[in-house]
Amino acid sequence: MKKKAITFKFLALAILFLLMVTGCGSNDEASIDDVSTIVLGVPTALGSIEGADSLKAVELAVEEINNAGGVSVDGEKRPLEVVSIDTREHEPGLPVHDALAALEKMIVEKKPDAIVVGSFRSEVLLSAMDLIAKYKIPYICTIAMTPDFQKKVSESADYKYMFRMGLNSPYLVNYLSDTMAFINQKFDFNKVYIVTQDVLWAKGTGTGLEKWFQANGWDVVGFDSYPTGASDFSSTLGNARAGNAQVIVPIFDMPQSGILLKQARAMQVPALMAGFISPAASDSAWQTFEGEVEGLVNLVFEIGPIPLQAVPKSVEFNANYGKKYGEETLAKLSGHGPGPAYDSIYVLADAIERAGTLESEALVTALEGTDMDGVIGKIKFTNDHQVIYGLDPKETAIGAVFQWKTPGVRVPVFPEVAAEGEIELPPYIK
Amino acid sequence: MIETVLIYGLVNSVTLILTAIGFSLTFGLSGIANFSHGGLYILSGYSAWMMMHYIGLPFALAAVLTVIQVGILGGLIYRAVIMPVRGIVLSEVVATFAVGVAILEFFRWRGFVTYDFNLPLFIKGSIGIAGVFIDYQRLFIIGIGLMLAVILWFFTHHTRIGLALRGMAQDEYTALSLGIESDWAATLSMALGAALAAVAAIIILPLGIISINMGYDVLLLALAVTILGGLESTNGLIVGCFILGYARVITGTYLGPEWMEVIYLAAIVLVLVVKPSGLCGKSKELEERV
Amino acid sequence: MKKGYRKERLDRGIKARTDDIFAICSPREIAYIALPRFIVIGALLMFPLLAVLTGIYWQNVLIITCTIALLALSWDLLASAGLVSLGQALFFGAGAYVTGFLSHHYGWPPILSVPAATVTGALLCTMLLYPVLRLRGIYFGLITFAMPLLMMRIVEATKILGGTEGLSGLAPLPGMKVELYVIITVTLVCVFGFRRLIDTDYGLVLRAIRDNDRAVMAGGINIQWYKTQAVFIAALPATFAGAFLTHHYQFVGMPAFALEYSILPLTSVIIGGTGSFAGAMLGAFILVPLSEVLRAFGTLRVVIYCLILLVFAIGLPEGIFHYIQRKYYQFERLVPVEEIKK
Repeated sequence: MKKKAITFKFLALAILFLLMVTGCGSNDEASIDDVSTIVLGVPTALGSIEGADSLKAVELAVEEINNAGGVSVDGEKRPLEVVSIDTREHEPGLPVHDALAALEKMIVEKKPDAIVVGSFRSEVLLSAMDLIAKYKIPYICTIAMTPDFQKKVSESADYKYMFRMGLNSPYLVNYLSDTMAFINQKFDFNKVYIVTQDVLWAKGTGTGLEKWFQANGWDVVGFDSYPTGASDFSSTLGNARAGNAQVIVPIFDMPQSGILLKQARAMQVPALMAGFISPAASDSAWQTFEGEVEGLVNLVFEIGPIPLQAVPKSVEFNANYGKKYGEETLAKLSGHGPGPAYDSIYVLADAIERAGTLESEALVTALEGTDMDGVIGKIKFTNDHQVIYGLDPKETAIGAVFQWKTPGVRVPVFPEVAAEGEIELPPYIK
Repeated sequence: MIETVLIYGLVNSVTLILTAIGFSLTFGLSGIANFSHGGLYILSGYSAWMMMHYIGLPFALAAVLTVIQVGILGGLIYRAVIMPVRGIVLSEVVATFAVGVAILEFFRWRGFVTYDFNLPLFIKGSIGIAGVFIDYQRLFIIGIGLMLAVILWFFTHHTRIGLALRGMAQDEYTALSLGIESDWAATLSMALGAALAAVAAIIILPLGIISINMGYDVLLLALAVTILGGLESTNGLIVGCFILGYARVITGTYLGPEWMEVIYLAAIVLVLVVKPSGLCGKSKELEERV
Repeated sequence: MKKGYRKERLDRGIKARTDDIFAICSPREIAYIALPRFIVIGALLMFPLLAVLTGIYWQNVLIITCTIALLALSWDLLASAGLVSLGQALFFGAGAYVTGFLSHHYGWPPILSVPAATVTGALLCTMLLYPVLRLRGIYFGLITFAMPLLMMRIVEATKILGGTEGLSGLAPLPGMKVELYVIITVTLVCVFGFRRLIDTDYGLVLRAIRDNDRAVMAGGINIQWYKTQAVFIAALPATFAGAFLTHHYQFVGMPAFALEYSILPLTSVIIGGTGSFAGAMLGAFILVPLSEVLRAFGTLRVVIYCLILLVFAIGLPEGIFHYIQRKYYQFERLVPVEEIKK
């Protein structure tokens, strides 16, 4: 028994030292600065779907650019290199400092020339801004959606290194309210129930929508927000049924929101679901939910994960992604993140070539002047460093509203330029 | 409205019973706070899913195999992890929590984070009761949950093994002197608790999608209701679940869902302040406060 | 082990000698007592000067390590009075939110708001915990476990203090070197201060409450009042840690009550060993850097981390510090077992 205990102790100490040594080893490796490559950092929640898919999209773009010879800096062709670190932000109990420590580790050890994808949670993005201001590295974020980001950028020149290519909450409100106007026109619906996840971006979107509904003569039957991880939605659905809501607007990015979808069908709530439910955004959702997503009107925040005939590059992106990672992975592609993450690499490459240097001040100026066609449509930044989203892919970037229809296809229904079908009421409402 | 609250309050309460019963049983029978409960719950979900999709077993068979396998795993956890530190409560908690987190994070590492993992419903469809529609799966939850509670109550109060196990929890030395072996009893209680976690997973998870973070929530819920009802009492567990289940639905319907969590945490704090051993716990009244 | 032998542990000669006051005559014996302490103090005070060697990143890690060490020290003091806490995040969050409130709404500079938050936060926590101080053992633990979660939900539901968004853009601290020296000094003061405190008559009462509270009551001592004081003193380093880290990252939000702030200190103490304060600190100084090193493993990091924790918790339940201390004070030898004649 005693002997066993001693072996245990030795084992423990051995493992500890081993890890210390390997840890230090990787340290030294990183400090060798390879001048020939351009290093792009991806610090995000790699354990989340959005984060993992964005990284894949980034790698796809990098591979394409490297196969074409790389990016020319001052006449010299240099390949791109991706380094990633997991910030674990999607785990609800994780303190902000831990995510920031990961970001700082990457910056100090890998010395990236630019950072893409970036923070997952809004509050991490906001507090990471001070860190980026300190290290002065161009940073294009594509996941976190808080509008406070732009407020900070416009308030102080310290934050000029930060750009955002993903959709933000006000634009999301615009898309949803436009869709609602469309539904109102078509079916004469005007009783709505809003239900959101209790997180910054979703709640903000819900509040924005509520204002719009009230201003436009809709009757808001109720507005509920559920804590992340909630797994029973009967109170909302019961209230919605009792209040005769015709449309339910769900805004969720947690896996449990799948329960909401299934429960609404089980409780036979005769209302059209139109909003954002992340588990039902990818192509494989029909199969996962065994067809129970039928009729759901859902949103792809930025096009890319859904091929639109009106934007040829998005079709091309889907084909290439499928080729590199397989059709099955393509079918699971997340509705938020991959499109702009892919484009951000091209935007950066373009800016580097125009600036002719990797020096951040020049790069920021070049990024500000970006004007190119990408997977998400036309890419242009506003003065507060946010890509403009609108309704026409020839003028702005766009998101797409689609409806699930039998036999399991996502039919784009809005914006009208890109629509390939019409919103229909599912059989269980008629 | 009131019908919805009544019926879904019941569903919520029984769901709570199911998620917590494994944890409560283990604690009641051997005094082990099994903090790997959430990990085992999610493990069961993924294991059933893997059996169905990688090996192609039918759901029923996969479900039964999962319950057995997770039960055995529970026993093994006791033998390998808890036995060496048995008696040091803090180490027990930390060790089992580490096991649970290791399981959950292992799945995260293997990429089990997409929205494709779900178990099939037993029977699809729903019926209307008093104007409220409810699906068959939730009816199953109510049925199986209540049945399990009754069976377990019978098992712990009227069978030899059950009584032996409870004797162990109440006074270890006296039980030892009567020929009940401590480690055997504890292994059995861990195995039973783990198997019950698996049963809960297989009945509840078809309602939605399996996600890793649920593992942590399940552990917190299990802790909450067992504290509320009394750490070692089956009746207390059921009372606690009904209070919390209805409290959640009522506050969710009339106050707004963001208050649901506040209400139940506040209930726990209140109960602990007034009656620390829980609503129905009584075996440790002398030890709980001065 | 050889058959027919058993292991015997005896104090080393030098240990026996240094227990006596005459030890100060000999430099060797002075070194035996003082060196371990001075090595720790020296190494910590030297660290910030070695910025070139360590890099900014590891300096940052040191700050987080000290934060966790402070939380662990706070835990250890509570445990010394028989109060097993599973919710150090409550103290951390209280300090963090008070300083965030003062800095955000009244624009106080950190030099005022951090001390103010340390004291006010500790007072608030003491008031919150006062009603439950009568509880013992695991019941006190469970209630402290629920408290930070409840606070988090209250902030979320009532939307006070920034709600889910938190308060960002708070006043920064003056600079890395200053920050490091401030937190290192506080940590060292706490370790040695607490070690001394627990050896005084006052500490004796606290330990007696842990060992046998009824006997203390029978001695005519108001244990309720003593426990209250213990909670206040123990809360101080933890609220300071919260306030300090808030200004370091210029942000406070709901994650200030996160489960990690309860779990990390607890595991630090488990690894280092309870009751000695030095063990709690040692645990934090192993655990936090280790988890940073493991970052290289990506998502697998947490799994490895848990397994290591398991090995420690099972293989070395007394904690590393007690193990080292035993080796330092005592030696082992094999002695033959006397046969019992039949």
